[in-house]
Amino acid sequence: MRLPAPLRDLYERWLSRRLPRSGRVVLNQKRIFIFPTGYGFFYLLVASLLFIGGINYENNLILALSFLLASLFLVAILHTYRNLSGLGIRNGDSESGFSGASGALEVILFPERRNHLCLWLYWQGQPAQQVSVTGGEESSLWLNMPLTERGRVMAPRLKVESRFPLGLLRTWSYVSLDHYCLAWPQPQEWAECPADGGDEHSQQVPTGRAGNDEFQGLREYSPGDSLRRIDWKGYAAGKGLNTKLFEEPAGGRLWLRWDRLEGMGDEQRLSILCHWILALDQQQLPYGLVLPGITLTPDTGDVHRWRTLDALACYPEFD
Amino acid sequence: MRVYQVPVHTRLWLATALIACSLPQLLLGPVWQSVLLAVVVVIRWLVDHQRMRLPGRIVRGVLMVTAVGMTWYSFGRIYGPEAGVALLVSLFALKYLEMVQQRDAYVVIVLGYFVCATALLFERGPGMFLFVLLCMLLLTACLVGINHSDTRASAFSHLKTGGVMLLQAIPVTLVLFLLVPRVAPLWNMQLDSGKARTGMSDSISPGDISDLSESSELAFRVAFQGELPPPSERYWRGLTLSHYDGRTWQQAMPRGMAVDSYLYNERGTPPDWYNRLQEQGAQQASYSYQLIMEPTQRRWLFALAVPMLEQGDASLARDMRLVARAPLSQRTAYTITSFPGLSTAIPLSVQEQDLMLSLPDDSFGRRARGLAQQWRLDSHSDRQIVSLALRHFREQPFHYTLKPPPLTADPIDEFLFRTRRGFCEHYASSFTFLMRAAGVPARVVVGYQGGEQNTLGSHLLVRQYDAHAWAEVWLQGQGWVRVDPTAAVAPDRIELGLRGSLQGDAEEQGALAGLDSFAGGGLFGRLQLWADYVDFRWQTWVLGYDNQFQLQVLRRLLGDVTPLRVAVSLIVAITLLLGLYMLVLLRQSGKLQQTVLEREFWRVHQRLELHTGQSLPAGLSPEGLARAVEIQTPKAGPVARQWAGYYQQLLYNPGFGAGKAQIRHLRRLRNRLYKLLD
Repeated sequence: MRLPAPLRDLYERWLSRRLPRSGRVVLNQKRIFIFPTGYGFFYLLVASLLFIGGINYENNLILALSFLLASLFLVAILHTYRNLSGLGIRNGDSESGFSGASGALEVILFPERRNHLCLWLYWQGQPAQQVSVTGGEESSLWLNMPLTERGRVMAPRLKVESRFPLGLLRTWSYVSLDHYCLAWPQPQEWAECPADGGDEHSQQVPTGRAGNDEFQGLREYSPGDSLRRIDWKGYAAGKGLNTKLFEEPAGGRLWLRWDRLEGMGDEQRLSILCHWILALDQQQLPYGLVLPGITLTPDTGDVHRWRTLDALACYPEFD
Repeated sequence: MRVYQVPVHTRLWLATALIACSLPQLLLGPVWQSVLLAVVVVIRWLVDHQRMRLPGRIVRGVLMVTAVGMTWYSFGRIYGPEAGVALLVSLFALKYLEMVQQRDAYVVIVLGYFVCATALLFERGPGMFLFVLLCMLLLTACLVGINHSDTRASAFSHLKTGGVMLLQAIPVTLVLFLLVPRVAPLWNMQLDSGKARTGMSDSISPGDISDLSESSELAFRVAFQGELPPPSERYWRGLTLSHYDGRTWQQAMPRGMAVDSYLYNERGTPPDWYNRLQEQGAQQASYSYQLIMEPTQRRWLFALAVPMLEQGDASLARDMRLVARAPLSQRTAYTITSFPGLSTAIPLSVQEQDLMLSLPDDSFGRRARGLAQQWRLDSHSDRQIVSLALRHFREQPFHYTLKPPPLTADPIDEFLFRTRRGFCEHYASSFTFLMRAAGVPARVVVGYQGGEQNTLGSHLLVRQYDAHAWAEVWLQGQGWVRVDPTAAVAPDRIELGLRGSLQGDAEEQGALAGLDSFAGGGLFGRLQLWADYVDFRWQTWVLGYDNQFQLQVLRRLLGDVTPLRVAVSLIVAITLLLGLYMLVLLRQSGKLQQTVLEREFWRVHQRLELHTGQSLPAGLSPEGLARAVEIQTPKAGPVARQWAGYYQQLLYNPGFGAGKAQIRHLRRLRNRLYKLLD
């Protein structure tokens, strides 16, 4: 059901006042809404039909049965509410993605007091995921979110819903987590590398493996090393996980610079930088990034790529 | 089409609920219903276990048509209560077969509610209601199950959740039952349960009542407000029979009397005999009671003379008995006040006198007529004739027996002068004949005499074997006077009842053996007493909780009964109940269940706090705890450290295997620590 636009705005404003953003939320009566489901209304209709039947046949037992159905409904209100009440939700990790594609946010559910069964969590318009929180343990859930534009994409209002135990009532709450996902710029092909440094100052990157071929030795793998540099052969031979070290590239270090893309829009600049980060990473050339407000020293590897891409996503505010 | 998979843990409950809800109908209805149900359950089982595909629309359609056809075949129609219920139960089973979406599962459960309700249409005992509650438990467990989409959920937990909810719902139901106003039926529905029962018929020939005396089935119950009449006054009048054809006594109306002036149901202008009753009734002594009739499929009620109806739907007839508006197809309660002394108020019209003196043609009872005329000549009043007749029965060798010899040609003369062995109907019939022959207006009355008291509820139970026949004679100035010739022959029959009067008579024992009575004694007798008490209370408090009873109860609870007060009390009561549940529900699970290891830790923690007398930080590690022990009691240090080390091993070392033996060892360490701390 869609409300007319002014009403929707009013409702949205009321909701965001009532449920402000926060990194950790425990659901309580202020946040929980409850309403019968379609089946709940059907059930009440059945109870009233039985009531009419009991009246007409002057049968007190059928009346009692209809009262029992109605009472069960009333009791179900409490139980349905209880299933959501006391559920804690907080920020977990996040997984960035290119804008236009999707990222994911981790939401961690923790029980304050009791078990919470059969909860459905979803952002508006996304498929729901089901989870139960039992035994006093946290459960975490990754929720995909579409990234429409570059930057920090705040978590949409999360809907937590449950119909347990009888399905007669639906209880739900909106949770606005103070949580965001970084959307990297969409890479845009650009012939000229916006970099300086390197052996010929700034030229198109040579194809093939440039410079960093000089194998130097092995050291023990540490998290963040590029997977491409792992000595897989040695690993397969049972020598443990080692990272291959190479000589400093002959070509020196490349600095990708924001300043070198003068006269373009911010987003385009970021897209071009993104393209080149990916291209240089592909070729395992060390590269640095200079944006107004942040400078990342040249390096290679997955972690470095993520750091630089995240920096592009965060522009112009870094923390 | 993707077949909806009922969660595995719920399948059992759905199948059980299906069978349980249908059970009352399966036991009563035609056999094909059981077959259909069995087929459906088997197919669904095979489908659920991927042994076969869900039958297509055609097969299901054929099953449906078959069910409708069989209903038609069994009942001759597909509407009406019995056929309707049969159809509903078939539909229930077929819907269960074609569950392809979760919504279908919901529909199955709702159909289950309806099937439960129809079971209550035909049987209203407390046992049936308990059974319906059991069905409700199963259906609620099913609801929980289909809403529990975790595949690992245990089937038993659904039953537990459903049970808890149902238990909480029952007090709310009681409040609703007590307070929700009973509305008059919106449209009238008559339900004929069609069960043939033993009971009194509207005519009486020799042998009819002695047949009844072989049944100990309940005829009706009476709950008195105030004093009970003595046993010799407990004559429950049902019918008066005034036409005799030589063999059979039948009901008859005086010639030329309109039904309106014979039966009065408190609508329209009352006939003058009714006005006279009303005028004189106020000053008379009376008995007030509630009469709870079992279904008889007949219209007449049984009451003490002269009954005035307080509550219920019945008319008063000129011959001082109550007639219900429709045949009694179910248990019905009536509140009645009887005025024993009021029979003088009703006059005897000329037409009535003619009827009450009529005799069959001359071929019957020649000698009896002679005897009666002799009495007429010997006496100067009707009263004297009556006492002469009673003396005759007392002094001649008459015998009261359940097995009278058959009477063939002329029942009156054969009985009076040849066999002289008979049951109450023989005595009442011949006595009335004699009275009429002597010119005294007389009629036969049939009904019940006596009744056994249930000491738990202090109500009377009147059973079929209490059936009795006696006579009434019209005496100038006294009106209709009851005369029981059987009392002259067998006084014990009136004082002690049938069982009491025939006890010790070897010849009759066989006939008495099968008759129930609380007097049978022993544990079985007590149980019967209780069963009857429960049944009686169920009838009066639950089934009989109607408009007027509710008004009484509410008056006692609320003082003044206004719609506002009822509404407010309803809301307050339910809010209080739900508030109480809320408190319990939200607090009860305030603590998460501690693991065994956590419990062990907190025990030591608490013990140490007790020992030192000061509180320790809650976030203390086992090591920290051990250090605290060492500072407090140095000699306990090593054991404490050992305990802490073992504890950590159990908690963090996956290779250690925290089994029962290890926990026991930890406990031993703890006990040693306790000893050192003392």
